Amino acid sequence: MATEQTARVFGNWKGFPMSIRLTLRRAAAGAGALGAVAAATLLAAPPAHAAGTSKVSVVHGIPGQPVDVYVNGKKTLDNFQPSKVAGPLDLPAGNYDIVIVKPGDPVTSPIIKVDQAAVPADANISLVAHLTADGKPTLTPFVNDTKTLAPGKARLVVRHTAAAPAVDVRAGGQPVFKNLTNPNEAKADLPAGTVSADVVLAGTSTVAIPVTDLSLAEGTSTIVYAVGSAEGKTLGVVAQTITGLHGTPGGVPSGSGGAADRGPAAWVYLAGALGLLTALAVGFALRKSRVPA
Amino acid sequence: MSRTRATAWSAVAAGIVTMLAATFTACAQQPAPPTGTPPTAASSAGPALEVSATPAAAVAPTGLKIDRLKLDVKVDPVGVDDKTGDFAVPPSVDVVGWYKWGPALNATAGSIVIAGHVDSAEQGAGAFFHLRDLGPGDPITVTGADGSTRRFTVTAREVYPKAKIPLERYFARDGTVRLTLITCGGPFDASIRHYRDNVVITAQPAA
Repeated sequence: MATEQTARVFGNWKGFPMSIRLTLRRAAAGAGALGAVAAATLLAAPPAHAAGTSKVSVVHGIPGQPVDVYVNGKKTLDNFQPSKVAGPLDLPAGNYDIVIVKPGDPVTSPIIKVDQAAVPADANISLVAHLTADGKPTLTPFVNDTKTLAPGKARLVVRHTAAAPAVDVRAGGQPVFKNLTNPNEAKADLPAGTVSADVVLAGTSTVAIPVTDLSLAEGTSTIVYAVGSAEGKTLGVVAQTITGLHGTPGGVPSGSGGAADRGPAAWVYLAGALGLLTALAVGFALRKSRVPA
Repeated sequence: MSRTRATAWSAVAAGIVTMLAATFTACAQQPAPPTGTPPTAASSAGPALEVSATPAAAVAPTGLKIDRLKLDVKVDPVGVDDKTGDFAVPPSVDVVGWYKWGPALNATAGSIVIAGHVDSAEQGAGAFFHLRDLGPGDPITVTGADGSTRRFTVTAREVYPKAKIPLERYFARDGTVRLTLITCGGPFDASIRHYRDNVVITAQPAA
C-alpha cells in the first residue's frame, strides 16, 4: 500500500532487471557493518506488495561524480547525478550484478562493482552509492521501514553515508540521534511538521552539516542521507520520501446525547401492527366459524 | 371445512410470524440498508508512482452548507485525539471538523472527511442531527479558506455499527475525489453514552 515518491526521478529504468532483493553481497571494500543494519531492518519489513516484488530506489551520495549504473550488464541509469534519487522500481526477487562506472566508461573499469546482489521479496529498499567512513566508494542497501504510522505522525530516518566520523543529529539544538556511524541509520516517528536539524561530530558541538529545515509530512517517511566527505569539505544531505504510510483514526465518536436514537423505523411498527391485526382478525373469524359447527 | 380452517389457521400463523418478525427487528434492528451507490474504493489499486512536483497548497474547508437540512455550519481543521487515536470531532456541537491529515477541499483524489456531532448530552442537538435524512441527489456546498467553493451531490447514505465500519475506505487518500460526512446514529446505549452506529454520507463533486 505504501507508495514511494522520490525527490527526483532520473535516468532510464527500462533496462532495470526486474527485481532487486535485499541482501547485497558487496564485492567492494568495507562490507562489514552494513550487514547488521540491512538484516535487522529486513526482519522488520512487512510484506507490502505482490509476492516476490520489491520496491527499489537508487540514491547517489558520492559528490562530484556523475555515473552510469549497469544492472546485469544493461545500462540502467545514464549520467546519474550526485545527490539524486532514482526510482522506485518494482523488482522481482533475485540476484543482480551491479556495476557503477564514470559516464561512458566500460563496465570493465568500475568505480563500484557488486556481484550477485541478492534482492529479497516484498521489501522496500534503497541502494545507496556513497563513500565509506574512510572515503572509498561503495554501495549499501538499506531496507526502508514502511510500517503504517499513527494518524498525525511522520517518520524521520537519518542515514550516515558520508566519509566522516561518528555524528550526533540534533533537532532544535538537542541531540536526538547519538553516535551514528557509517553505514548505519537512526529513526523516529514524530508529530508531522517542520523540524530544524543539524549534524555535529559525536559528543561535540562542532557542526558538520549546518541546520536544515525538514518538512515532515503526515503519513510519510523522510529519509535523510548524510553524504560527501568531511575531509573534502563536501558534506551535505540527500533526501528521499516515501508516501502512503498514513494511518486511519480509530473511530468517529460524534454523539453522547441519545436524542437521535429514533428507535426502529416506522415500517417496523407498521408491520408489527399489521401482523397483530391479521392474527386477531383471522383468529376471530375462525372462532366464529367454529361456533355453529 | 377442515380445509378452510387449515387455511385460516395458517393465516393466523402468518400474522403471528409477521408480528414476531417485526418485534425481533425492532429489538435487534440492523442499520438501515444503504441507499445509492457506495463510494468508490479504488484503494490498494496499486502504488502510484509520482514525481514529486510541488503539490498545490492544501485548501482547508471552512464552511459547509446543506440546504436540504437548512444547515450552514463552520468547519474547523482537526486531527486525532492524542489519547484515544479517534477522530477529534470538535467539542462544540455547532462546529464540524475536517480531517486535516487527509485530502483538502482542492484535492484531486481521495476522501475529504468532515465529521460532526449528532448531539451531545450537555449541548443538545448537533449540526449533524439530521444528517441521516440526506439521500442521493441532495446538493452540498463547501467553502474553502481561500474563498473558493466546491459543490457536491450526495450519492450514498450508509449506516455501520462502529465496530464494523470500514474506516480505511472513508479515510482513503486515493481513488476518485469525494466528500465524506460522518456522524453517529442508531440505537443509543445510555449506560456508556454511545451510539452504536456511524452514519456516513458520500457525495461526489457536482457536474
